[in-house]
This record gives sequence, structure tokens and C-alpha cells, in this order.
Amino acid sequence: MMEIDESIEVWGKMGKRDGGNNLRPLIAKPLDRATLAIRLTLFVLAGMTTYTFLTLGSNGVNVAQATAETLSNFATMFLHPYSHHLTVWDAFYEVLITLGLAYLTTVLGGVLALFLGLMAAQNLAPKWLTNIIKSFVAVIRAVPTILWVLIFAVAAGLGSTAAVIGLTFHSVGYLTKAYSESFEDLDRSVIEALRATGANWWQVVFQAVIPSSATYLLSWTFLRFEINFGNAVAMGAAAGAAGIGFDLFMAGGYYFDLHEVGLITYLVLAFAIVMETAATYMKRRLQSGE
Amino acid sequence: MTLLELKNVTKHYSPAVAPALADISFSVNEGEFISVIGPSGSGKTTLLRTINRMVELSGGEITFAGVSISRLRKSELRKLRSKIGMIFQHYNLVDRMSVIENVLHGRLGHKSTLAGILGSYTLAEKEQALRIIQMLGLDEYINKRCDQLSGGQKQRVGIARALVQNPKLILCDEPIASLDPSSAKIIMDYLKNISRDLGITLLVSLHQVDIALKYSDRVIGVNRGTIVFDGKPDELTRERVSEIYGFDAGDLMINLGESEGYAS
Repeated sequence: MMEIDESIEVWGKMGKRDGGNNLRPLIAKPLDRATLAIRLTLFVLAGMTTYTFLTLGSNGVNVAQATAETLSNFATMFLHPYSHHLTVWDAFYEVLITLGLAYLTTVLGGVLALFLGLMAAQNLAPKWLTNIIKSFVAVIRAVPTILWVLIFAVAAGLGSTAAVIGLTFHSVGYLTKAYSESFEDLDRSVIEALRATGANWWQVVFQAVIPSSATYLLSWTFLRFEINFGNAVAMGAAAGAAGIGFDLFMAGGYYFDLHEVGLITYLVLAFAIVMETAATYMKRRLQSGE
Repeated sequence: MTLLELKNVTKHYSPAVAPALADISFSVNEGEFISVIGPSGSGKTTLLRTINRMVELSGGEITFAGVSISRLRKSELRKLRSKIGMIFQHYNLVDRMSVIENVLHGRLGHKSTLAGILGSYTLAEKEQALRIIQMLGLDEYINKRCDQLSGGQKQRVGIARALVQNPKLILCDEPIASLDPSSAKIIMDYLKNISRDLGITLLVSLHQVDIALKYSDRVIGVNRGTIVFDGKPDELTRERVSEIYGFDAGDLMINLGESEGYAS
């Protein structure tokens, strides 16, 4: 700390002595508030990191042994996937339930977000309205999905209802922002041109705004669908919303069956890859305008 | 017959700055081809936009086809706008949609909200759009997306969109400012044909004085929100041009047609 401050002073004096000499930028970066702030932040972070490592309690765990055992667990999971409780059909059905949860929440969230997004787009709505909606959805997004599920569980009870409402709620927050920014991509002048022909707001939205941003809307929706799929797996475990997540929770935490955990992970991964491929294919078709 | 009349029109964007339009009065007869010239920021664009109320007036009165436009309600305003076409410097088409879809957008002002949302146009409307597209030589691009067209082609789509409205008046806001000279000539020739053959009144803002002289029946010169010239092209002398632009015409490299007859 002292060293830096001293050098700051020295540089400051150099600057004054030279009196705006044009060599100065070559010798040292001009010291302004921003550079000073960056240096101080880095210094504090370095100090905290050192302190953490020095005082880290390993609680008697042998690091080498622990690493080896973790790797051996991973090997059991991913090299010997096997099922004891679930038949292949059961597992498949459970993934479908999770997929259904993700689909339902994305569709519900998407429809609500479409209208909120229109009202939050600066080229389509008055400024006061966009501000209200944008700050409202920012608050929704700031709270994690799982917390919304737990909040709604107070009213709806832990289970699929709370999961659907909570996931939908967060999806609305996420998609409204994404959609409204896609809508804002369309030039104001195009909207103006259609207004000048006598078209009204709804006609402009459906004839110009949505067709122009369709690719963005689709890719944001798919991204949210993927996120919701991941969330739906977690909700199965955390909120008792059924689906493959619940089986994963049972296999891992209750039966301690690492083989089955591996199998379920592979299954979820396979579904994720299929979804991603389908999304890419659809987006390409839309972009080429077929 | 008078189609459009502006009386003491003023427009203040903010009370702190000078008005964009100050006490503008003129009237337009049916079928006239009028160019509006003047330096950038002189109020040409604002002037055009007050006529279809894309810009609200601060004062004065505009009458279009016998109707005073300043107190129209929402649905009446839609009806007014559907009778006035508009063409823009940057074409302002929906790039991701096809030529025919963009042209049919010109019909939206005549349709119910739901029909417009669903994009369901009548056979007559489609046939009319097709005729106009053929007239403008765009038939081979009819199903192409507009982002695949050149600037001149896009502007022709813009003209088609205005024509399909069956307008009495077309406002052209610097229609050739982004085009190369040959595309600009094609566009101006089309505009001239529209004025002559279809009898549609045109109000065109331009930066090129020689083109304004060559094509229009009447020229209006605007400077700092006021009209400084209003007359026939051959009345526009060097002195009047320098009044409009605040520079000597010779310094502006403007050919007034005295030496070569280029603009006659």
C-alpha cells in the first residue's frame, strides 16, 4: 500500500516538474481516478486471496487422497453407468416429465413476455411505461429461480404447482428483457413509415416488429427452454416437482447409487444435445427465409 | 383546385431553440410537382412531416382536401394518413420481408386492425399491388427479401408502397439522397411519370438544385424555417439560390442551366 502511494506521489511530482512535457505519457500512464481505482482494487483482491489461502481450514482432509477418491467416484459414475431401480422406459418417461415442465414454463413465460416485451420496447411504448416494466422485470430476474419457487411454495405447497409458477415467473423476467431488446433492434424509421401509411400500433407490431425479430425471439426462447430444462431437473430434487431430477436426487442422496447417477446424467445430456440440434436447425431455416 | 393549404404553420421542438418552422404559408394545387429545397436543418423534413402529422404542429392550420388536419381524432388521422403516401431517404422497408409484403403494407391504413394483424389482403388489393410492381419494373424481385435489393430497387419498392395506398398526395423526404446518379435519375423519372400520368400531387424535398429545376413545376426554397422562395423553376435566379443557401451559387457548384441547358 505504502509503496504504491509513494510511487503515485513520485509520478505526480514528475508530471508537475515536467509541466506537461510530451514525454510523460511514454514514461508512465497518466494517473487518473480510474487507474488509481483499478490498482487499489487489484491490491485489495491480492491481499484477500493470500489471507484466504493462509487461513483455509482443510479440516484434516488429505488433499491427494480426496482428489483420488473423487476421480474414482467420477469413474464409477461415468464409465459404468447402470440402473438398479429405473428401467430404461421409466427413466425416459421421467425425462419427458421434466421436459414437459420446461416446455410449459417456457411457453407460458414466452406468451406473457411477448406482451410485456412490446410494452417495454422503447420504440413501441412511451418512456414511462418501458421504465416501469423494465425495472419490474429486473427485480424478478435479480431473485434466483429456486427462490421464486420456494416463495410460491408458501401458497401452493411444495410440488409441481409451485415449480411451474416459479419457473414461469423467472422466465417472464428473462424473456421480457430479451424480447424487448430484440424489438428495439428494429429501426424507429421503419415503424414511422408504416404509421405514415395509416397503420395502427397492432398492425405495425404484427406486420413489421415481430417478423423482423422472429429469429432473435426464437433463439432467446430456445435458450430459455434450455435453462428451464436445467432448472426443471433441479426443481425435481429441490421442490419435489417430480421428473428425472427427483430420481437423480434419490439415486445420489438416498440410495447412494453412483452408477445410476451416471446413467441419469447421460440421459439428460443426450436430451440436451437433441434439443440444441433441433434449435440450431430451426433457426437456420428461419434465417434463410424458407 | 387546391388540395393542400398551409396557413401560418409554426413548429417549436423546444422553447429554448429557434423554431423549426416559422409562419409558413402556401397552398398546393392538385397534380403539382413541387420541390422543396434548402440547406440541411432548414426545416424541409419537419415541413413534410407536419402534413401527415408525423410531427405535431405548434401553431397554424393545415387543410388537406377540405379537411382541417390539426384536430383529427385517432381514427380520422388514420384515414388522413391512408390518403397521403410517404417516401423516405432510407427507404424504411421491413428488410426481412418480401417485396410484395412490403408493398401490401401500404394497404394497412385501409384495413381493420385484425385483417392487418393477420396480413389478409383481398384479391383486388393483391392484383393492384402486382400491377404497381410491374409498372415499376420489379416483377422479377416480387418474392425476394428486401435486404437483397439494391438501393434503387428498394426505393422503387418504397414508391410502390406509397402508390398502393391510392394516395392523393405523396410526400418524398429526400428520396434520392442515398442513391447513385443513375438510380437517382430512374427514381426521379418514375416520380415524374406518377405526377404526369396518375395525376398524383408530389411534394419532394431535395438537395440537388439542378434536379429540382429539371423535374418540378414549382420550387419552394426554405431557410431557417421560413419560405424564402416560391415560384416556377425559371424564376430561380443565382441571387435567389444564394438567398436560400446563404452562399453564392457559383461557390456551391450548382448548375442553373445557363451554360449547358442541362437543367432545362
